[in-house]
Amino acid sequence: MTWRRERWSADHSLPIGVTQRAQVGELVRAGDIIAAGATLAGAMRVSGARRLGLSPSDLDRELRVRVGSDVAAGTVLARVGRRFARSVTAPIAGRLLHVTVDGDLYIAPIVDRWTVRATLDGVVSRSDDAMVEIEGEAWCLQGAAAYGPNAFGELTLGVDGPTADLAPTRIDVRLRGRIIVGGARVSAEVITRAHACGVAGLVAGGVPPAGLRVVYGDAVTASGSPSRDDRPTVLCLMGFGSAALPPAVYEPFAALAGARAAIHTASARLFVFSTADVGRHPTPSPDVAVRGEGPAAYAPAGRADTETDESDSDEPAQTEEELTPSASDPSSTER
Amino acid sequence: MTVSTGTEAPVEETRVALGRSLRVALLHGREEASRRVVAQLALASGAEIVARVRATDRRSFVEAAQALRDARPDVVVIQGGAKDEAALAELLEALRLGCGTQRPMPRVFALVDTSVAPALQVRADPFEFEHFATAPEIVEALRGLRRGGNEDVVLRDALIEDAARALATTNGTAALAVDVTERSTSLVLARRDGRVEAAHLVPLGLGMGADHVVVRASLDHVRRWLPWPIDSTALLERVFNRPRGAEGLPADEPAVLLEMALAREAIAHALRDVADAGLDVAAMRSAPAILITGRVASLPKSGQSLLVLVDGLEPSAVSTVFREPDEGRAERIGMVVSVVTRRSAKIRITRASGRSMAQVTPGSFGLVAIGADVDIAINGPGVRGHGRSGELGVLIDARGRPLSLPERDGERIPAVARWHTALHAIAADGSST
Repeated sequence: MTWRRERWSADHSLPIGVTQRAQVGELVRAGDIIAAGATLAGAMRVSGARRLGLSPSDLDRELRVRVGSDVAAGTVLARVGRRFARSVTAPIAGRLLHVTVDGDLYIAPIVDRWTVRATLDGVVSRSDDAMVEIEGEAWCLQGAAAYGPNAFGELTLGVDGPTADLAPTRIDVRLRGRIIVGGARVSAEVITRAHACGVAGLVAGGVPPAGLRVVYGDAVTASGSPSRDDRPTVLCLMGFGSAALPPAVYEPFAALAGARAAIHTASARLFVFSTADVGRHPTPSPDVAVRGEGPAAYAPAGRADTETDESDSDEPAQTEEELTPSASDPSSTER
Repeated sequence: MTVSTGTEAPVEETRVALGRSLRVALLHGREEASRRVVAQLALASGAEIVARVRATDRRSFVEAAQALRDARPDVVVIQGGAKDEAALAELLEALRLGCGTQRPMPRVFALVDTSVAPALQVRADPFEFEHFATAPEIVEALRGLRRGGNEDVVLRDALIEDAARALATTNGTAALAVDVTERSTSLVLARRDGRVEAAHLVPLGLGMGADHVVVRASLDHVRRWLPWPIDSTALLERVFNRPRGAEGLPADEPAVLLEMALAREAIAHALRDVADAGLDVAAMRSAPAILITGRVASLPKSGQSLLVLVDGLEPSAVSTVFREPDEGRAERIGMVVSVVTRRSAKIRITRASGRSMAQVTPGSFGLVAIGADVDIAINGPGVRGHGRSGELGVLIDARGRPLSLPERDGERIPAVARWHTALHAIAADGSST
């Protein structure tokens, strides 16, 4: 397991009901919405070609509404004839979802909306109703397994060294939207607390499988469990239990802290978007850096590509003390 | 692997492989028989079942389509009768919606009436649709996909089936082959007439498939076989880290015992799937000849292999047990006599040098050191059999069926340790070293 900066591809599977999606060749950044759609409930089958007296292959010509469009109840979906017209109308409001081989139509009510976001800065290389694939250059760390939905945020060190475990007390709402590097181990308590505080994702050398079972259920396996639902995102780098990160893995974290990052759970990869040469630049000793200025201090000075939002009022604490919320800390009551 | 075709014939080198992973979705008719047929097809072909949808599935059209999309099948196997045509056509529409843009597209293998096939083929557009007349043809086609078009490769499943057939022919009885690898568990019953019932479960094994054993069997079911107390958390970590561990034989006794525990549950769960698919579990349990292969056959001691077999399979008759490690020859390791009795019974062991009698009490479990042709007869339960015991002798197993272990650690651990000691699977004091 090593850091590599090269061109990667990341596929993003889409649920059924896509409304719009990025097109091939489009430039996207990690975190951008690349597809949006509707969550659909039980579909209703409506007689189409037979009702109109057409052969199924001719129905397409008479459709007044494109497949995949939203329709209101009573909308004319297809129509033939002039004086003695015959038409097919939508019995319910929803999405014209599918046309069968027989020329029947499926219409499904819309119950929710969804979006899918990019996990790579790059170019869309494939786009269809099932998947959007992006190719782009980034630093990448291949993990052992990942759990939960894809995550995006600023990479932030949450521990003092590669052998340290991430303590629950170091997680608070000021880390909302960040990807936290948890050192050797993150426990179930850390995972649930981080999720409650809005932390985007956690990266650690090891995760106790018992903790994973608590969070993701007893069906969780060592091969990971990518999902789309609202769950914590965890990237397990080395294995299960506790696994101290080797210097070759940990030190680049220190160099890349503050950069935008994404966890692609289907491939168990961490992408970091930075042009920093973590292979050649001397990286500060984590211990020294932590004692000095806290997580954000890991970002090397003068790195032009560290695209953090300086105006963000929820900037994480710059000192170790601020990272540890106290009972009297008003921000901790936001949880 | 080296395959010998006889004592005098030249040895031929064969390339044996597990084959590439093949994901299959099963769409079947409303009848139970239809469900069993597709389950048998999937088990026999060694494919991983990623989705099952019955014609009367309660899921909505959209949910079924989403389930098929998420499953990303390589092949969709459909089976059903004439009255299932409409329901299967609907499922094929769900497949078109769910997987129409999947690359590469799934192929549709149909085992349906000839009268139904053309209509379903139309509805399967744009997928490649192949109609098969018999189940073995589909199994062969699925295995062909696992071979990746390389006809020189011999799949491990086929080799295990050949071994079971060879044992059945040699013994003149039904024979069962039990194979447990890093990611698969196989049970193959070969009958005297050459018919074979095979189940190759993927992923379910001791390395890549170890976590699936825990998911299916539960952690407590794996833990109960260990002859020492262990924290669930620590055990779970060991199991989850197995796929990332170095492949090969376990180095120390705790690792061996964990592997044995996982193997027992893998075999037990393979049997459950076999029963669920309507295959003959009773015949498997009563096979007079049993061959153990794979990781279980490669355990350091033959007693360990035998113990895994009797605990996982729970044989129900008199069976001669062989084991054949991947890099070794087959050897006869013992004879298992399963006795189910509520009262004491007498066992009569007859061999060329004479006859001996012994008392069997319910719950007893131990070896009788005899290394010759023997006839076994037990009064009471009516167990009879003939065979040749191997290096371990005759194992009398009167623990009852189904085998139940005490719930409490204080009772269970000594009992499990006793069973291990009886087969020389651990140090005599029952401790792990």
